[in-house]
Amino acid sequence: MKPAPFKYVAAETVEEAVAALGEHGDEAKVLAGGQSLVPLMNLRLATPGVLVDVNRIAELSGVRANGNLEIGAVTRQAAIERSAEARAAAPLIVEALRHVAHPPIRSRGTIGGTVAHADPAAEIPAVLLALGGEVVARGPGGERTIPADELFQGYFTTALQPDELLTSVRFPAQGPGARTALQEVARKQADFALAGAVVAANVGDDGTCESARIVLFGVADRPLRAPGAEEAVTSRSLADVAVLADAAQSAAAGIDPTGDAHASAEYRKEVAGVLVRRALTTVAEGGVRA
Amino acid sequence: MATTETNAPYVGRPIPRVEDARLLRGLGTFVDDIQRPGLLHAAFVRSPFGHARLTSIDASRARELDGVALVLTAEDIEDLAPIATGLPREEVVANNRPVLPPETVRFVGEAVACVIASSRYVAEDAAQLVDVEYEPLPAVIDAERSLAEGAALLHDGTESNSFAHIEYEQGDVEAAFAAADHVFRKRFHHGRFHAAPLEGRALLAEWDPGAQEMTIWMSTQIPHLVRTLLCHAIGLSEKQLRVIAPDVGGGFGLKLHLWPEDYLVSAASKRLNRPVKWVEDRSEALAASLHAKEIICDLELATKADGTFVAMRGRYVGDAGAYAAYPFTPLVDALCAAVMLPNVYDVQAVRFEVDAAFTNKCPAGAYRGVGWTSGQTARELLVDEAARELGIDPMELRLQNTIPDGEPYVSGTGCKYDGGSYGAAQRKAMELIDYAAFRGRQEEARAQGRHLGIGFSPFLEPGGWSGELAKRMGFPFDYMDSARVTIEPDGSVVVAMGLHSHGQAHQTTMAQVVADKLSVPIESVKIIQGDTAQTAYGAGTFGSRGAVIGYGSISRAAEEVAEKVKQIAGLALEAAPEDIELKDGNAIVRGAPEKAMPMMMVGFTAYFGAFVGGKRPPGIDPVLTSTRSYDPPETYANGCVAAVVDVDVETGAVIVEKVVIVDDCGTILNPMVVDGQLVGAAAQGVGGALYEELRYDEDGNFLAGNLLDYLYPSTLEIPPIEVGHLQTPSPVTDGGVKGCGEGGTIATPAAVVNAVADALSPLGVTIARTPLDPSHVLSLIREARG
Amino acid sequence: MSVQDRLVEGEIVVRLTVNGEERRGIAEPRLLLVDFLRHELGLTGTHVGCEQGVCGACSIRLDGELVRSCLLFAVQAEGSSIETVEGLAPGEDLHPIQQAYHEQHGLQCGFCTPGLLLATVDLLERNTSPSEQEIRDYLAGNICRCTGYVGVVAAVQEAARKLEAGGS
Repeated sequence: MKPAPFKYVAAETVEEAVAALGEHGDEAKVLAGGQSLVPLMNLRLATPGVLVDVNRIAELSGVRANGNLEIGAVTRQAAIERSAEARAAAPLIVEALRHVAHPPIRSRGTIGGTVAHADPAAEIPAVLLALGGEVVARGPGGERTIPADELFQGYFTTALQPDELLTSVRFPAQGPGARTALQEVARKQADFALAGAVVAANVGDDGTCESARIVLFGVADRPLRAPGAEEAVTSRSLADVAVLADAAQSAAAGIDPTGDAHASAEYRKEVAGVLVRRALTTVAEGGVRA
Repeated sequence: MATTETNAPYVGRPIPRVEDARLLRGLGTFVDDIQRPGLLHAAFVRSPFGHARLTSIDASRARELDGVALVLTAEDIEDLAPIATGLPREEVVANNRPVLPPETVRFVGEAVACVIASSRYVAEDAAQLVDVEYEPLPAVIDAERSLAEGAALLHDGTESNSFAHIEYEQGDVEAAFAAADHVFRKRFHHGRFHAAPLEGRALLAEWDPGAQEMTIWMSTQIPHLVRTLLCHAIGLSEKQLRVIAPDVGGGFGLKLHLWPEDYLVSAASKRLNRPVKWVEDRSEALAASLHAKEIICDLELATKADGTFVAMRGRYVGDAGAYAAYPFTPLVDALCAAVMLPNVYDVQAVRFEVDAAFTNKCPAGAYRGVGWTSGQTARELLVDEAARELGIDPMELRLQNTIPDGEPYVSGTGCKYDGGSYGAAQRKAMELIDYAAFRGRQEEARAQGRHLGIGFSPFLEPGGWSGELAKRMGFPFDYMDSARVTIEPDGSVVVAMGLHSHGQAHQTTMAQVVADKLSVPIESVKIIQGDTAQTAYGAGTFGSRGAVIGYGSISRAAEEVAEKVKQIAGLALEAAPEDIELKDGNAIVRGAPEKAMPMMMVGFTAYFGAFVGGKRPPGIDPVLTSTRSYDPPETYANGCVAAVVDVDVETGAVIVEKVVIVDDCGTILNPMVVDGQLVGAAAQGVGGALYEELRYDEDGNFLAGNLLDYLYPSTLEIPPIEVGHLQTPSPVTDGGVKGCGEGGTIATPAAVVNAVADALSPLGVTIARTPLDPSHVLSLIREARG
Repeated sequence: MSVQDRLVEGEIVVRLTVNGEERRGIAEPRLLLVDFLRHELGLTGTHVGCEQGVCGACSIRLDGELVRSCLLFAVQAEGSSIETVEGLAPGEDLHPIQQAYHEQHGLQCGFCTPGLLLATVDLLERNTSPSEQEIRDYLAGNICRCTGYVGVVAAVQEAARKLEAGGS
């Protein structure tokens, strides 16, 4: 199908983008990578009246590691994959990107775009939540920071206002005991997950898990923390099979997924637990390497 | 790669394709690449409901949009009669499909209006402005329920929802079952998927009011049949219509049909005196082109105590969708499945019952391997289950019951197999996949908690689809397949044939055939295909027929031309025509090769005689051309596919580790091309077994409308595929060619499904449907756990 | 000009470089880049298979990156440098990658081929000697319905050998 007509403007600065979003209100949508938006427009499932193209805003692109890892919203996923700094600071992001679609999608797709699109089966929002990251947004009233815990509010819905532009995505510095892992099941390797689990843990020298953030994706209307599973592993040894089984069971018990053409609700529930166990096992073995 | 043992220089060798250069450069010509002055574009308004009364349709807003040239609804096309699909068999009730439905829509995606505008973009804008009101009706989405007593009838004036109810019996089947030591049963619901060629349907119709003729460029496999079937429907005689199939981006059987869209676009061009193009988009392709292979099979196998098969019964209910696919009919699924029930097994007592039931889904028709795929999957799964119950190795059980190699055999459904490597192919597949080592590997893996499985699928591939074969399969039809071979003055050889390649490299393989027959360098040969104004009549390329039909028709025509060449050369070289041989582009005197006449000289002598100091032989017509047809008898290729899978029993995910396909298609024209066909078909089989599904919900809503729901297998889903060859030339076809192309799609789903069943058999899992997506596999495991 | 003044509604001229040549054409904002290349510039080698970004038939390179031209609007490509399949072969001869596909039977109907060629160009630029798994990973975004990928993988391996041996 071909998209419906729209007006187009290429912003050159963040101020211009925010002004355009403010001017056109509900009619306007941000065009970043376009890898999620344009398919919807081609199917006429999305019919914005105005597209505000942010691809030419130079300040929105770039990976900066200075303690925290700060990535400009329009930074291409492929650029992040290739960034040694990103890999050193948060190898989980690079690992997660391997699961995101295909190289040509990642050469245009942006990190800000995928976070703002908030597909509940997407990897990067789950990674952001698991690492305890945050985003920076700018609107007519100025700049604000939104922690990941507050960002994702429902199906394809974030706390961003229509006149706000997401400008950067931040991941906190990882300590020396930080270990991460991501496990997912998809129909085709590069597709959205039927279910997925992300673990970001701090593991002591003796193998005890001091703290963990465990996030499930593809099983609800947003990426979800699994507090029962987190409790099951805190201050416990990840080498203990019973601990892992406990965490898996808690994770599965704590969700109420829906079924669709690709997988039943029972499937998602059962497999979420399996994936939590597998991700914890990976963490026990050292986690994702930089 | 296999080679044919022959002295012939081209046939049997992996000659690289002449098609490649233009395709690699991006200089191919597909329908959408064609520009015509004044071109307009079509888009369609399509029903969002699976079954509904169309209560009103108002195109006035659409017609007012700038750039819109025409909007057609049912009331605007009284001159376009419904498309009537039938067969000259008493069991068949002809089905009418309105070009635009006046009152009732019967599947999601059915076109209810046609918009013609200055661009596809504007046409879609206008389509959204057509106001349609529907009253939804309950949808019928189960083929068996569609046939049940009291089911709502989907078509007016019919007594049941079955397009045809067909029964067949040979031998005293009931007695055989009653006397059997064991009876094994299997119910299997084969999933609905489809050809999904990467280039969808497309046509460009251009009416020339001056010449009163129409040219249609169409992405089709059957240009001549399109011309014959379409012309009268749009008010033309055959001589007024020219159909050109340019480069076609895949067909796989889908492009053997005609649809309302074709009639509407052609009629619009005639009304507007402007060329009109329609290029199907992916959503339309998925919802509204052609579905295939969904059959509910109930099979029974009767055996003796030692596992000898004594009888088989099969009930096949095909899900035909809302209308009978035109012109091949939905019986290509259920009836073809039934006729091949016995496969390579020596079973003479066979009974089958077939129905093709209408439902509120997209019409179903031909897709590579047709219903043979579905029947194969159900039957080979049953054979494996029988083997497990009998405690016999499944390959031992198969080989015990397989007909002897090399000898012709008439099957329990009357098929005349022309002798093949029925058992040898199975043994070769076992060897290539290293079956001997597998069970040990499987046990080791199980000890580590991994579930590997192996599955086999010996198959037959009815080839060369022609009159005799079609009738054997249940379709009373004869085909006109011909080729014209011409030698031009300069000795160039031009073949104009009725086949049309859409990936099978006819331009190369058919050149190989004629180059051998006339012993000319292949570079001097040109193959013309696809343009009805330039080619001899043919039914097109499908049904593994290209090589058989091409070889036969071209050889016959070439032989006639060769005779004339010998006459002309004989006169010139002072030898009897019987003593003239064609060799390396020359006509030579046998035994005296220095007496040679190059083909160019032969040509100039025939055409211009005295002008080149030559003489035409008296009493013969010197025109160096011949058109001959070929209607081959039944012929059957055979082979065996084997697959190894790794099933993750915690997530239900199935990885195919390896596929092996052994094929015996008799004489091979080009082994590189054959390998490509085998591997490509096998990949489609993997897709159908695990990934591809055209699903509907209970209300007839279509759930596979985009490529995140309909899953084309990629490089990560298709494993390495190994090919093995055997060659048993057919004793009954020209050149011993049996045909190739469908074997992989016929047999691979069964091999993959059998492998999964084998992997999960210790868990007590029984498989009764495809595709085997992770959610379904895990539910089977969960149920078996109890 | 303020951002409001730069709002585009109707057709504008788009200027870009395609296969090393400066080209221009007319586009309204919604015109997809693939349609612009095919119908405005007459470069019909790049094909449309899904308009969803899944099948890869529309793959081209934009400013040195492999992209889906069905997911870009022509107006976004102003000033960019684009490579399409028509620019691969240097002259009469085929590019070594094209030659490899020819020799290894890496194409049948040819519809997916241009997209696959561009993806192969991109892959071999970044990884001159990819393993089979790396090839399959990189080309997973290019659907082929005809070949079953065996010939494609063989073609890419042969192309890598040819390029290493010094063919352009």
